[in-house]
Amino acid sequence: MEKIVKDFRDLQPRLRKNEVWRNVDFSALLTDELRLPQGERQTAEYRCNIPNLDALRLVVENGLCHEGLTVDSQGIVYGSLRDISGKRADFVRQYFGLCTPQQNPYLQLNTENYTDGLFIYVPDGVQVERPVQLQSVVNAGHGLFLQVRNLVVVGRNSRVTLIHCDDSYDNAPAFANNVTEMHVGRDAYVQYYKMQNLNNQTGLLNHTYALMDTGSALRSVAVTLNGGHIRNHTEIRMMGEHCDVQAHGLFLNDQEQQVDNYIFVDHAYPNCHSRELFKGILDDSARGTFNGHVLVRDGAVKTEAYQSNNNILLTDKAIINTKPFLEIYNDDVKCSHGSTIGQLDEQALFYIRSRGVSERTAQTLLLYAFCDEVLQQIEFEPLRDTLVDMVKKRLHGELTLCADCALHCGTPCNGPEVNFYIDPAKL
Amino acid sequence: MALLSIRNLHASIGEREILKGVNLEINAGEVHSIMGPNGNGKSTLAGVIAGNSKYTVTEGEVIYKGKNILDMPVDVRACEGIFLGFQYPVEIPGVSITNFMRTAVNEQRKYRGLDPLSGSEFLKLMEEKKKVVEMTTKLANRSVNEGFSGGEKKKNEIFQMAMLDPTLAILDETDSGLDIDALRIVASGVNKLRRPDNATVVITHYQRLLDYIVPDFVHVLYEGRIVKTGPKELALELEQKGYEWIKEELESGK
Repeated sequence: MEKIVKDFRDLQPRLRKNEVWRNVDFSALLTDELRLPQGERQTAEYRCNIPNLDALRLVVENGLCHEGLTVDSQGIVYGSLRDISGKRADFVRQYFGLCTPQQNPYLQLNTENYTDGLFIYVPDGVQVERPVQLQSVVNAGHGLFLQVRNLVVVGRNSRVTLIHCDDSYDNAPAFANNVTEMHVGRDAYVQYYKMQNLNNQTGLLNHTYALMDTGSALRSVAVTLNGGHIRNHTEIRMMGEHCDVQAHGLFLNDQEQQVDNYIFVDHAYPNCHSRELFKGILDDSARGTFNGHVLVRDGAVKTEAYQSNNNILLTDKAIINTKPFLEIYNDDVKCSHGSTIGQLDEQALFYIRSRGVSERTAQTLLLYAFCDEVLQQIEFEPLRDTLVDMVKKRLHGELTLCADCALHCGTPCNGPEVNFYIDPAKL
Repeated sequence: MALLSIRNLHASIGEREILKGVNLEINAGEVHSIMGPNGNGKSTLAGVIAGNSKYTVTEGEVIYKGKNILDMPVDVRACEGIFLGFQYPVEIPGVSITNFMRTAVNEQRKYRGLDPLSGSEFLKLMEEKKKVVEMTTKLANRSVNEGFSGGEKKKNEIFQMAMLDPTLAILDETDSGLDIDALRIVASGVNKLRRPDNATVVITHYQRLLDYIVPDFVHVLYEGRIVKTGPKELALELEQKGYEWIKEELESGK
C-alpha cells in the first residue's frame, strides 16, 4: 500500500472520536490497488452534456491540471495551481491556506501533498458572464489516490457561477481527498454547484472552505447522484456583516453506498443570514449522515440561521444518522433546526392515486417532488434543467453511470450499470 | 340498473365501527345530497366508496356499474370513473397542478386503452376546463394546493373533476371554507358538469349549497345509517329545525 494511503487510513480511528468526523470510515475503499497519479492522460475529450451550457471549462484530470496560466479579457486569471504558484508565488500566497483557520489532519495531508488543481481569480467588480466549470475527472484505467487542491478568489463586488463536477470515467477504484478554498470578496456573489457522479469503487472526501467578506453572498447546492462513499465537508465563515449563505444538498444513494454531509457555518458578525436544506433518499443498504453545525457567536446579533434535513428511507436496511445542531451565544437571533426521517406521505399518496394514478407512478411523483425543493435552489437554469432530468432518470432507474454522467466522454466503460430502481414492494 | 348501489355497508376505523348498515341507490343523471350531524359517518362513506385504506369494510357491498368495487385499488376505482372531492385537499409541494393532471389524465386514458394526450392537446383541454371554475393560469402552475386559500383548494377540486370527467362524483363538504363568491363559482362548476349519464353526491352541512346545486334526493346519515330520505325540501326543513326532531322521530319509532 502506498505510504500516503496508509497515512490517510491510519488517521481515521483517532479522528472518529471527534464529533465532526464521527461515522467517517473510508477503510473499505482504501485498498492496495490505489497508486499515486503519474500524470496519466487519456485522449478522450471531456465533453459536457448539459444542453445550452456555454461555460469556461477547466479540467483536472487524474489529479493534474494541464491549463497554463491564462488571463482573459475580463482580467480573470486561471490555470494550474502548481503552475501559477511557481510563476506568481507571492500572489498565490496571499490566499492559499487562509480559508481554513481550523486545521484538520485530512486537510493537512492535502496541503502537504496535493498534486495540483485549479486556481481561479476574479478581480474586483467583474460580472463573469460565462459560468466556470471545474471538472475533476478520474480516468486512469487503474486505481488512484488523488489529492486535488483548488483555490478560488472572487474580488469585491464580483459575481461568478461555478460548476464543480466530480466524475468517474472508468470503473477503476479511486480515492480523492480534495480541497477547494474559496475567498468571497466584499459584496461579491458566488453560486457554487457541485455535481457528483462517481462509480461505486470511488471514495471522495470533498472539503470546501469558504471565507466570506462583508455583504457577500454564497449559494451552494451539492447534488450527489452516485458514489461509493462521498463526504462533503463544508466550512463557511462569514467574516463581516450582512452576509448571506444558502447551502443546500441532495443525495440519492443505493446499494452499499455511503454519503455524508458535514456543514459548519460560522456566524461571527451581526446581521448575517444562513439557510441549509439537505434532502436525501436512501435505498437498499445505503447509509448517510447529515451533521450540520451552526455557530452563532457572542455579538452576532440579528442572526438568522435555518437548518433542515429531510430524509426518505426506502428500505429497513437503509440508515441515516442526522444531527442538526445550533450553538448560540447571544439572544437576539432567529434560528431553527430540524430533521425528519420518513417514508412517503400516505395522505398525499392516497390523494394522487384517487385521481387514477397508479401507486408506482404516485410514488415516483412524490419522490421527485421531494427532491425538487432542493433542485429549485439552483438559479442557473441550464444546470437546473439538466439536474431535474438526471434526478428523474435516477428515480426511474434510467441513470447509468456512463451514458448519463454529467460529462460525456462517449467511451463506454465495461462495469455494471447503476440502477436506482424504486421497487414499490420495498415501501 | 342503478349506477351505484350500496347494500348493508358496515365499515370501521380500527375497532370503532362508523358505518352500521348503509343502503343507498344512485342512478345516472341524479344529484344526491347527504346531510347529517358531525361524526356520524358522512366522510367515512365517501372514503369507503373512493377506496381509502384507512377504513375497513366489515360487511355489505358497493356495486358500481354492476361490479363490486370493494376489492379494487383506489386508482382503479378512479379510472372506472369515481371521483372524490376532498374535504381537506392535500398539499403536495413540488408537484404542479399541470403536471399532476397530465399524469392523471394520461394514466386514466391508458387504463381505457387510449393514447396519451399530446402536450398541445392537454393544454387545450386544460384551458377549456379552467374556465369551468374561473381558474387562473398562475394557480395552475403552482404546486398542488400548496399555500392555497380554502376557496382555491375547493376550486382546484372541481377543476380536477372537470379534467377527469367522472361518472360518479362524491363531493365531501365542498362548501366548507368558501365565501359567497367562491361558493357560487364552485357550485356553478358542478352544475356545468352535470349530464344525464353521470351522477353527483354532495355531502354538506348547509342548505346554502343546495340553493345552487339542487338535489333530487336528500339523505340524512345518522349514527352510521341513512335514517331518512326525502326530496330537496327536506334540506330546508333540516335547516330550520336542526337534527333533533329526526333523533326524536327515531327514538319514538323504536
